[in-house]
Amino acid sequence: MLEIRNLTLHYGTTKGMVQAVDKVSLSLDRGESVGLVGESGCGKTSVAMAIMKLMPPNAVIMGGKILFKGENILLKDDEEIRGIRWKEISMVFQAAMNALNPVISVGDQIIEAIQAHNEVSESEAWEKVKELYTLVGLDPGRGKSYPHEYSGGMKQRAIIAMSLACSPDLIIADEPTTALDVIMQDQIIQEIVALQDRSDMAMIYISHDISVIAETCGKTGVMYAGKIVEYADTDSLFYDTLHPYTKALLSSYPSIKGEVKRLNPIPGEPPNLLNPPVGCRFYPRCPEREGICNSQEPEYLEVRDGHFVACHLVKRAKGGGRAR
Amino acid sequence: MKEYLTRERDKDWLEDMAGREFKTGLGGKWDRWVKGFLGHWEIFRKNKLGLFGLALFIVFAAMALLSYIPPLIDPMYEPMTGVDPDILWTQGPTKAHWLGTDFIGRDILSQLLVGARIAFLVGITAAFMAVAIGTSMGLISGYLGKRVDMILMRVADIIMVMPGLLVILILSAVIGKLSVWNLVIIIGLLRWASVARVIRSQTLSLRERPYVQAAIISGASKGRIIFRHIGPNVLPLSFLYMTFGVTTAILVEAALAFLGFGDPGTVSWGMMLQWVWKTGNMFRAPYWLLPPGICISLITLSFYLIGRALDEVVNPRLRQR
Amino acid sequence: MHLGKFVLVRATQIIITFFIILSLLFILFRVAPGDPASLVIDPQMTPEDVEETRAIFGLDKPLYQQYLIYVKNFIQGEFGSSFYYGKPVLEVIAEKLPNTILLFTTSIILSAFAGISWGKVIAWRRGSLLDSSVTVVGLVSHTLFLPWIALLLVWIFAYWVNWFPLTGMITPELWVDPDTGTVRKVLDVLHHMVLPLSVLFTIHFGGFMLIMRSSMLETLKEDYIVTARAKGLTERQIRERHAAKNAALPVVTSVGLSLAFSINGGAITETIFSWPGIGRELVFSVSNSDYPLAQIAFLLIAALVLVANLVVDVLYAYLDPRIKY
Repeated sequence: MLEIRNLTLHYGTTKGMVQAVDKVSLSLDRGESVGLVGESGCGKTSVAMAIMKLMPPNAVIMGGKILFKGENILLKDDEEIRGIRWKEISMVFQAAMNALNPVISVGDQIIEAIQAHNEVSESEAWEKVKELYTLVGLDPGRGKSYPHEYSGGMKQRAIIAMSLACSPDLIIADEPTTALDVIMQDQIIQEIVALQDRSDMAMIYISHDISVIAETCGKTGVMYAGKIVEYADTDSLFYDTLHPYTKALLSSYPSIKGEVKRLNPIPGEPPNLLNPPVGCRFYPRCPEREGICNSQEPEYLEVRDGHFVACHLVKRAKGGGRAR
Repeated sequence: MKEYLTRERDKDWLEDMAGREFKTGLGGKWDRWVKGFLGHWEIFRKNKLGLFGLALFIVFAAMALLSYIPPLIDPMYEPMTGVDPDILWTQGPTKAHWLGTDFIGRDILSQLLVGARIAFLVGITAAFMAVAIGTSMGLISGYLGKRVDMILMRVADIIMVMPGLLVILILSAVIGKLSVWNLVIIIGLLRWASVARVIRSQTLSLRERPYVQAAIISGASKGRIIFRHIGPNVLPLSFLYMTFGVTTAILVEAALAFLGFGDPGTVSWGMMLQWVWKTGNMFRAPYWLLPPGICISLITLSFYLIGRALDEVVNPRLRQR
Repeated sequence: MHLGKFVLVRATQIIITFFIILSLLFILFRVAPGDPASLVIDPQMTPEDVEETRAIFGLDKPLYQQYLIYVKNFIQGEFGSSFYYGKPVLEVIAEKLPNTILLFTTSIILSAFAGISWGKVIAWRRGSLLDSSVTVVGLVSHTLFLPWIALLLVWIFAYWVNWFPLTGMITPELWVDPDTGTVRKVLDVLHHMVLPLSVLFTIHFGGFMLIMRSSMLETLKEDYIVTARAKGLTERQIRERHAAKNAALPVVTSVGLSLAFSINGGAITETIFSWPGIGRELVFSVSNSDYPLAQIAFLLIAALVLVANLVVDVLYAYLDPRIKY
């Protein structure tokens, strides 16, 4: 249903072009869920914005396609995009952000979304709002309140409710639980999983927290410095981890069970994307690096069935692979 | 610890200047000061309108300086008392009088030049007073909080609600005609309120900064904290408000002079407008009507544009990306 | 309900502020050089009137009693008699107050609306030619010297082309004639109002527009604008429903803050156009040393500003649901 092929996106700044996203590819069918993991600034939000053509004005698409139901979103004009937005693809934002307009009641904001795409009367729309609220576990009577009257968890649920308003085919969730405490986080995640199970909706879940993605998504893509470095179904990624970065990510997490160990953060910082290095972008921080990694960019290859990696060492070990 | 206690500066400009070699040879403190100034200038320079304002400023400053010259050329060019013996009424521009003469034969250009001088004097002095008082009050109020804060801000609120020009009118009803210096003092005493409010909010947020907290813990006296630590950081804001203060001071003086309540011994642009209006020459003497008004408007524009550009220097968020 | 309580609280505050101003005025007039009696006693009064006035104002009594009498007089509307008009001050101001309110409120409302509408549109098209030109116009008009622009307008539009009357609020002959209908009278006033209104509008429009523009630019960076766009709303809907609503709030605040400044301009305008309002009375009474009238005119203007502030505060509280009252 959704296929991103070699998406390359740069941002124009006063200091030059920031190469934020470089040849990113992934695909999604109905009902599937894909998680995108990575550090801040790795480009995951940029990819998400690009899918809905919501990039900021200084963003330039340097190449690639985003095929949604067979048609390239990047080529569509404004009116067509507006029709697609929310009705077929919607987004769940972080509640910590000012995602809700403070001077309009929450219910009205949801109704706005509904009425933008459906010919319904206001009372019918209100009924839908109440339905949605019940679905996400909110009191249906609170629709007329304003965002500042909601708690963080309530706001997040309202944002989720809003994203479901037009029953979209694809939902992009951008760090939906980052701003919440762990208990609320757990609740929300459970609800998201439940909602997704019940419906035919596809989901892209973006987070910097790999443990959350492990719980919610069928497939996982790991992004680093604007590129996808590893992509596989979640089980394979966790039990058959191939890319050094993914390995480092997984091991940097403390475990509740098991012995108490020192935390293993990854030393160093992500590269400056104004002038990305020639070879592999993870080279300076990679514990397994070799000479070739510095001079040549690793290809993004399918080394096992459905398991993609961009790493010279993996390619060598697995005896090559199929290019995407 | 001592490093930590020294004043924290806005680091942006240092980054702007990074990579540039500059030494005055006078030692570290001067280097830093000059670097800072140049850094600010870089930012200011990018604002085209600000540069235009600065250009106007220079023009008026030149006018103010030139104002000393005409009486030296010939006594008839004395703005207040100099009368051309050959001309007894208002007349258009001639070779002797580039902008013509007013209703008793005084040279308009000399008056215009002196007006610039008065505008600067009044504007800058009154604004300086207002900002000096306002900043101190704002700092004290913001830092000490509670009672002091409440009382000072109530006073400020009451002052801010009263229409300044009309207050001065009433004062002059009681005191009589106001001399220019009286006026400057009164403007200063009225304007401090709005400056104080702004400085106070700034102080409130700065008060929580780590280096201030460190100073408090290490036992610095209140005065020292206020004036050595917080003070220098609100100075850019004060300076900004001074430019706006100059415009209001000039406008108030001009308006008062225009209405007939100005200092009769001073020639200001407002006074010139009053003369052209009250002597009924408004419709007949564009050479007399237009220049003073244009000057007042342009000098206001000049300070306002400079102020806006300074706002970008002081407030990094406003800068163009 | 809640809004009512808010209004009550604010109203009480401004009443207290007003009384402080009243008291300050009392102190001012008493510490001034000269015989305080001369402040209320017209040199042209007859001895009996002088005695009567002395009694009303309690000029022979100790200071604090004078103050109480002063306050009492004020509340009761006993303002003394104008030296210049020879009439009770109350009568004079009752005639003039509505005229000032008419001119002042109309100018503020018009310039605020225009400022908000234009600021909104040009911020949306930042960087365009429209943006640059209107911004420049706004900057220039904001810094024009009010008396000068008034004189210019009179010269061009009243003198040269004679489209509008030079001064005044009404054409006396028209109003004296019993056959003139109300519509004609209203039109007459409006006709006279155009020039003074234009002056005030020119001065205030620029400021409001510039604030709306920068407020709008700030608002457009907010996350909820991205949300609105993601929902598939049209640009127009986003601009009006989401951006402008939020951006207008600081403008409302600035209207409130500029009220004192605006009334200065109002007084000057009234003087130039001989618009029969309180501002003009204040200016005249000060020149004529008509102390009773001057005092009350000033107090009334202060009251006007305070009330206007109250209205703006209430409006803001109404518009912004985040304000708790």
